[in-house]
This record gives sequence, C-alpha cells and structure tokens, in this order.
Amino acid sequence: MNFYLTYVLVASALFAFTALFTLFALYSERKISAFIQDRLGPMEVGKYGSLQAFADILKMLQKEFIIPTAADKILFILAPIIIFVSVYLGFAALPWAPGLIPASLNLGLFYIFAILSIETLGILMAGWGSNNKYALLGSMRSVAQMVSYEIPAGISLLSVVMISQSLNLQEITIRQGILTSEAVNFLGIWDVKAIGGILAWNVFQAPHLIVAYIIYFIASLAECNRAPFDIPEAESELVGGFHVEYSGLRFAFIFLAEYSMMFLVGMIGVVLFLGGWNSPLPNISSVSLATWTTGIGWGIFWILTKTLCVVAVQIWLRWTLPRFRVDQLMSFCWKVLTPLAFLCMLISGIWRLTMM
Amino acid sequence: MNAEQLIFYFFAALVLISALMVVTMQNLVRSIFLFFVTLFSLAALYVFALADFIAVTQVVIYVGGVLVLMLFAFMLSNKELLNSLEPIKRTFKLNHLAGIFICLSFLFILVSLIVQIDFSGLDWIKSAAPILEGDNTIHAIGMHSMTRYLLPFEVLSVFLMMALIGAAHLARKGKKI
Repeated sequence: MNFYLTYVLVASALFAFTALFTLFALYSERKISAFIQDRLGPMEVGKYGSLQAFADILKMLQKEFIIPTAADKILFILAPIIIFVSVYLGFAALPWAPGLIPASLNLGLFYIFAILSIETLGILMAGWGSNNKYALLGSMRSVAQMVSYEIPAGISLLSVVMISQSLNLQEITIRQGILTSEAVNFLGIWDVKAIGGILAWNVFQAPHLIVAYIIYFIASLAECNRAPFDIPEAESELVGGFHVEYSGLRFAFIFLAEYSMMFLVGMIGVVLFLGGWNSPLPNISSVSLATWTTGIGWGIFWILTKTLCVVAVQIWLRWTLPRFRVDQLMSFCWKVLTPLAFLCMLISGIWRLTMM
Repeated sequence: MNAEQLIFYFFAALVLISALMVVTMQNLVRSIFLFFVTLFSLAALYVFALADFIAVTQVVIYVGGVLVLMLFAFMLSNKELLNSLEPIKRTFKLNHLAGIFICLSFLFILVSLIVQIDFSGLDWIKSAAPILEGDNTIHAIGMHSMTRYLLPFEVLSVFLMMALIGAAHLARKGKKI
C-alpha cells in the first residue's frame, strides 16, 4: 500500500509546484513587462507589489461561475479541466535530478508529446462549448497553429533523439554530463567525458543542435500561444480568444494550464538541449566543479535555474515583439521552420554515423 | 479481484459504453468528443497488454490527429447542411432487417471463432518470448521495422508521400481547376 501513498504524494507535490510557479510567473511577468515598458508595475499590495499574485487568486476564487445560456454546458464545464490535466500529466515524465523522476518511462519524450496533443482537444471543446463566435474563432486559430507547429517541434526533438539514441528523458540527461558511461565529444572531436559541465551539453556535442534548439524554442512559443504567436488570444481582435466566456476558478485553471505549459516546454528544451540537471561548471584539473555540483539538491537547483531563465526569455519576447499575421505565421512554419528542422534531422543522422 | 483487474474492467466498460453512446447520440459534436473517451480508454487497454508504444501512438494519431481533423471538418461544414440532417428515428422498419441480419451474422462468426480457437495451444504464441514489464520495446520495434518489415515500412512511407503531394495539389490555387 505504501507505493500508492508515494504516487499521491508525488502527484500533489507536482500540482503544488505548478500552482506556485504560476503565482511566481504572474508576478514576474508583470514586473518584467513593467521594466520593458519603463513603468513600475504592481506596487500597492505588499512590498514592491509582491503579494499582487495572491490578491489576484483571491479575487478569482470569489468570482461567480457564469455559464452562458446558449452554451453546451457539459463541454463548457469539462474543457478547462481537460486543458489543465493534459498539461499537468506531461510533468509526470520529466527528470528533476539524478535518480529523481516521477515516472521513468522508456517512451518519456513520446509520451509527453502525445499528452500535450490532448490540449488542442480541450481548446476546441472550450471554443465550441462557449457558443460564442470569438471563442470559436480563437480556438480554431489556436488549434491550426498548434497542429502546424507540432511538426517542426517534433522533428527538431527527433534530431536530438537520433544523437542520444533514447526516448527516456533521464537517459538523455545522463548522456550530457559526467555521470555517463559512454563517450561525450565536444563538437564531435574533443572527448570531455571527465570534464563535463557546459561542454557536454547536447547543443555543444553536435553544433547543428543549436539550430534545432532555436527551431524548437520558436515552435514551443507557438504551442503555448505566447506572443509573437498569440493570435488565438489577440485581445484587439478577438476580445480574449477561446477563454472569453470563462470566469472565476474555471478561468484560473486555463491560466494555470497556460503558465504550466510555458514551464513544461521550457523544461523539455532544457532537458533535451541544455543538459537537464547537469551542472554548467566544468572540471578544471584538480578543481572539480562539475563533480562538486552534481547531486539531487544541485540537480533540482540547476534545472530550475535553467528553466526559469528560458521562461524569462519567453516573457521578454512577449513584451518585445509584435504579433504575427495568420498568413505570416503559417508560411513561417511551413516554409522556414519545417525545412530547417528536416535539415537538422538529416545532419543528425550523418553525424551519428560518421562522428560518433 | 485485485486492483489491476478492477482498473482493466473499468476501462473495458468505459470503451464499450462510450462507443455505444457515440453511435446513439444525436448531438454530433458531443459524440465526437465522446469518441475521445473511447480512444483514450482503448489506449489504457493497450497499456495493460504491455504495448506502451502502441498506446502512446494511439493517443498521438487518433486524439491529436484524426479527432482534431474530424472536429475541423465538422466546424468548417455548412450549418444549413447540418440542420437538414434528419434526426434518427427509433421506430422499426422492414428495411432495417437486412442490417440487423448482417450484424448478427458477423457477431455469430466472431463468437464462434473465439469459442473454437484454443489460444494457449497456438504455435506462434507458444514459441514467442514473453514481454516483461520493464522491457524496452521500442528498440525491438525499431530493429524490426528496419530489417524484417523494411518493405512494408518503405511502402507506407511512399503511400504517405503520395497522400501529402495529393493534398498539396488539391489545396493550391490552380489555373485549370
């Protein structure tokens, strides 16, 4: 019976983490946007507005559940749950530290990719269930965008899998540090197995993966509907997109899903390309920084730091770049990102056969 | 009955009930969304058969692909056309008899086959090595699709290429069409 208790504990810990992260991200998004636009941001609630996110959540909890009369009630109620659960299930296969992974699946990456595709269904459900033309338009745009951008994202992830020869995220991470039993070559020539650190990350093991990471990062922005790919929620055209009719806790769940998705796609990128929980500090002869900074506590610290940096870049881009037009968005995906991703996959195959 | 069996029967019942409801439901959109329940619980049954790759592939292809395509087709179709669909009448008519007969005979063939076959005595089941829980099945799948099943694999890829080219040809703004 004990392992059932562990399952429940792990699941609640992950849920608590996503909720905490969302609070933190809400505050940081406001502060970063304020910094970029040269204003102060929230300053009233708490010191430097630090309690603003809690105040927002309190406000959300108190709001009334409003169901439009013409809405399809079952779909309308179920949609936010499906959207959130699909993102939350993705966290199950992500490695946090050496030996610390909720579910070490052989199919880890494939599983996450599959589970995330359920979110499109939830968005369509919300759009149709609201019985509102803005919501429907927003959900159609969102799904069209997510389905197209899954292709470059998937293929750029495949080019990593071809180098790592595994779909298990824990194994992919181990192969990028000092704990591996296989050869690790910096740029394919210099053996850095004992040195580790930043030199052993996947992007530096095979330099074309830098391109693959940029492709993945752009596609992941589109998958979580962030600017510059936020036409599904374009406030100036669609009021609020697929979640325009939602209020209170249901809206909070959609919001939670959106921010968890940001963290999730950032973390997948970090695990696959930027060394996961491996330390960025290399061993320099007797000063073995990499060995000292590898462990369970350090692992969690490194992966959190790296992922939060990626999330910060996502926020920064949102407040810097203007929105894409629909035709630009599609032609950028199909005419630039997809061929480049295919090229990366081809180079990966050649790299695997010749350099490793 | 242990917990695993309980979960298995739960999902099996879910597959059957939701599949029945998909067919009988009058509201088309809801029945498409219910189809998701059917496909997802079918994926759960694949997990019980230790075919985790098939389970995940089922979710990717059917939920992420086919189901979204069905919804798109539904939402982009003409509203007048959908309204003109007559609701299914539940009264019995003589021309339903042929359908009932075909269904019953298929059921009879299936049931009689299942009754006749002695599953544990089949040669290919006896000789096959059992799959264990921790096995890495994707390695075997990769090896086999590149060696033993190379021809079907390549034929499939050519077929998908044909479908892609055909779709692109139909979608482009042609001068002739």
